[in-house]
Amino acid sequence: MNHTTSLWRPYLHSATRSTRHSRRQFHLGDIHSAVPDAPSPTEIAPLLEEFAKHSPRPLTLPKLFSFGQPLTAESILESASYVLSEAPRLFGSRVRNLEALPFIVGMNPFIARILAAHRKSFKTIAMFPPVTSLEENTRVTAQLEALVQAHANDIPTMAKGFQECSRYMTPEEISEFLDSAIRNRIAVRLIAEQHIALSRALQNGGKKVEEYIGVIHLACSPKQMIRMCGSFVSELCEATFGSAPKIIIDGDVDSTFVYVPVHLEYILTEILKNAFRASVERHHKQGYSSRHPIPPIYITISPPGSETPIASSAPSSSTAHPFISKHKQRPHFLSMRIRDEGGGVAESNINKIFSYSFTTAGRNSVSASMDDIDFSGSGGGGGPYAAQHIGGMAALDGSYGGGGGGLFGEMVGRGVQVGTGTIAGLGYGLPMSRLYAKYFGGSLDFISLDGWGSDVFLKLRCLDDAEDVVIG
Amino acid sequence: MNEERLIKSANYVRTELPVRIAHRLRDLQALPYVVVTQEGVAKVYELYWTAFDKFRRYPQVDTLEDNDAFCVFLRNILDEHSTVIPSLSLGLSLSSPYLAPDRLDAFMRRMLVSRISRRVLVEHHVALSQSFNNKLKGTGQAGAPVGIIHTGLNVKESIKRCVAYLRSRPYDADQDVSSGTQNVDWSEVVIDGHVDTTFPYIREHLEYIIFELLKNSFRATRSKHPDASRLPSIRATIVAASHQVTIRISDQGGGIMSSHITTPSDLFSFSHVRNAARLDDARLGALRTVSSSSRGMKATVDEQVKTWQTATAEHTPSPASLAPHPRIGIGLPMSNIFATYFGGSLEIVSMDGYGTDVYLRLPRLGTNLEGIEV
Repeated sequence: MNHTTSLWRPYLHSATRSTRHSRRQFHLGDIHSAVPDAPSPTEIAPLLEEFAKHSPRPLTLPKLFSFGQPLTAESILESASYVLSEAPRLFGSRVRNLEALPFIVGMNPFIARILAAHRKSFKTIAMFPPVTSLEENTRVTAQLEALVQAHANDIPTMAKGFQECSRYMTPEEISEFLDSAIRNRIAVRLIAEQHIALSRALQNGGKKVEEYIGVIHLACSPKQMIRMCGSFVSELCEATFGSAPKIIIDGDVDSTFVYVPVHLEYILTEILKNAFRASVERHHKQGYSSRHPIPPIYITISPPGSETPIASSAPSSSTAHPFISKHKQRPHFLSMRIRDEGGGVAESNINKIFSYSFTTAGRNSVSASMDDIDFSGSGGGGGPYAAQHIGGMAALDGSYGGGGGGLFGEMVGRGVQVGTGTIAGLGYGLPMSRLYAKYFGGSLDFISLDGWGSDVFLKLRCLDDAEDVVIG
Repeated sequence: MNEERLIKSANYVRTELPVRIAHRLRDLQALPYVVVTQEGVAKVYELYWTAFDKFRRYPQVDTLEDNDAFCVFLRNILDEHSTVIPSLSLGLSLSSPYLAPDRLDAFMRRMLVSRISRRVLVEHHVALSQSFNNKLKGTGQAGAPVGIIHTGLNVKESIKRCVAYLRSRPYDADQDVSSGTQNVDWSEVVIDGHVDTTFPYIREHLEYIIFELLKNSFRATRSKHPDASRLPSIRATIVAASHQVTIRISDQGGGIMSSHITTPSDLFSFSHVRNAARLDDARLGALRTVSSSSRGMKATVDEQVKTWQTATAEHTPSPASLAPHPRIGIGLPMSNIFATYFGGSLEIVSMDGYGTDVYLRLPRLGTNLEGIEV
């Protein structure tokens, strides 16, 4: 880990110096100037109210599917109309949640920046005229894309802000806020990206990609996704630690299911990062040389079953009695078990692993030299984690639109945008993965064998059989 | 251990047990009338009442000869009560429509925990008496367990012992599942992790749990792969931490979810509301058979093994006609109670279509203030 910190230190110094110089007496007006053209709270309050009055037209999965089956100009226009009514509602609700944070938290430069950006996005999207033609749709789609891009750095920026504000809010309050913000964000991206993908598919004329409906893959292969995420994490691991374990896939390796691949990609990447890091660190700690291979990560795939509904298997001594249960039809899931020998999670930490910003990364770090900046809060410091801090600051410095100024911002910006840039750091990986897994009704469970390794059980809902799932 | 202490221990047992039995009686008396008059529960009430009476009339123990007689008395009562578990299970399953699942499970739990406590007390005292007598006669062994707590129980050895018993059964030992047509060997069990782990625990408890869990795994694996020429292996991982030992058993038996239950922990319940299988006719029939037999069921590995050995020795013509080990289905609830008795836990995770992982965590006795329920 040392070589990483020595890389970041000079960058850190120059970055902090430039920020300090630009910091003067902080006025309320400054927040708005940090985001050009951001509307003031009073300006958009009436718009917010108006949208709050609209009864929501919540989008169900079957509805989302229907826009792409069949894919026609009419279905695209209908999809556009849904997006233009749901996206502002979702953004509006996020604005309201942000505005409901304690004043002192809202004044934090990072949080304030996010809030202003959301107000701007809300106003933009609320004022889109209805889409009546495919040309208009193309324009709207481009603007939607820009909007999604603009919010790419939200999570690390908010993470930074909350870390600085940790003394003003309890961890439960922060968790609750972040849970709802992230869920909201997943919904917006899903709706927007689905519409963008469908629009593009229509533009490509008859060239239908058989297995996709927008961002939903009808034959999502866990094996392929594991290979893809595995190689990415493996590179990251080699770069950070010098070695990486192998992945062995077993069970029903060729099964496929209907899912949104980018969600699975995120979850797998985060879980694998944890598993790889733990395995390598334990291996090093035990003093094994490279002759002893690092224990591989075993991923077992269990296919969605053909569940039979239970209906009335209640015993014949029946309905008169008060305690007869009523079982419902069971949904279908694809399950994966990710098993490592990384030493497990210590008993004292097991309750914290799903809380935001708990991480064991970067404890012995650069923080000593960062005394100019108040990083008070839950002890995260430098090491690989520093990059995430910088990412947040790089997003601050320079234009609203992410990617900041200069080489440094660019280096970090890309990784931060995907949210998966470094092997460890934010402490958001597990809680966010769990949110993604639960989004369509799945689950993520973590079982630790302290002193040996961990098992992560991931259950993902098959989307071809999910009429009850509501987006947003 | 000297004579004075042994006598003291005897009188402690003599006075403590009626108190605990009295609590059980009170608990039974508080149940709905319709429950206690059920077949099974009524029998258990009678048994407890008789035991209470006998204990309270038993004279004080003053000498070693008194203690020897007392130990015989204790042994007899334990034998008389060997039908309690299946009778109670039967009675409560039948009462399931009249009791909320939580209340039913809580009641059963109190009964079984108290039973374990009483047995631990009695068997510990009897074991102490035996080793004391051996010492007097000069036939003692060095390094013998302290009463019934084994100070250095080797987990891998216990697992291997259970595996050996289970794998020596015929391939069609489980009558209620299809076992295919080929006489294929049972799965191998691979043991890994901290394989040299030893820890202080009661051997009978540990082995009962492992036995039941492995029995389930063997059964499920065979049932899931009826046509395989070689059954997939089962993996047992031992993990030693400073204050607890964990054993993880992973199989490829297809998982445990079925139409009877909604979550794996429903399998620990005696209520048919949580686990509809409790009121299956086959299940009830098996419970009746076991509760009316003279041997009853003590929830130990030795007892089950003896039963098989007797059956094979008698060369029973076909497994179907004699059911030496009817499936009464209380292995998991009992294991759960044994596991949680000293503050441990049992967790089941199912990957439906693939297999099951069971996590058994047991505290090292003597390192914590174990939360022992009485």
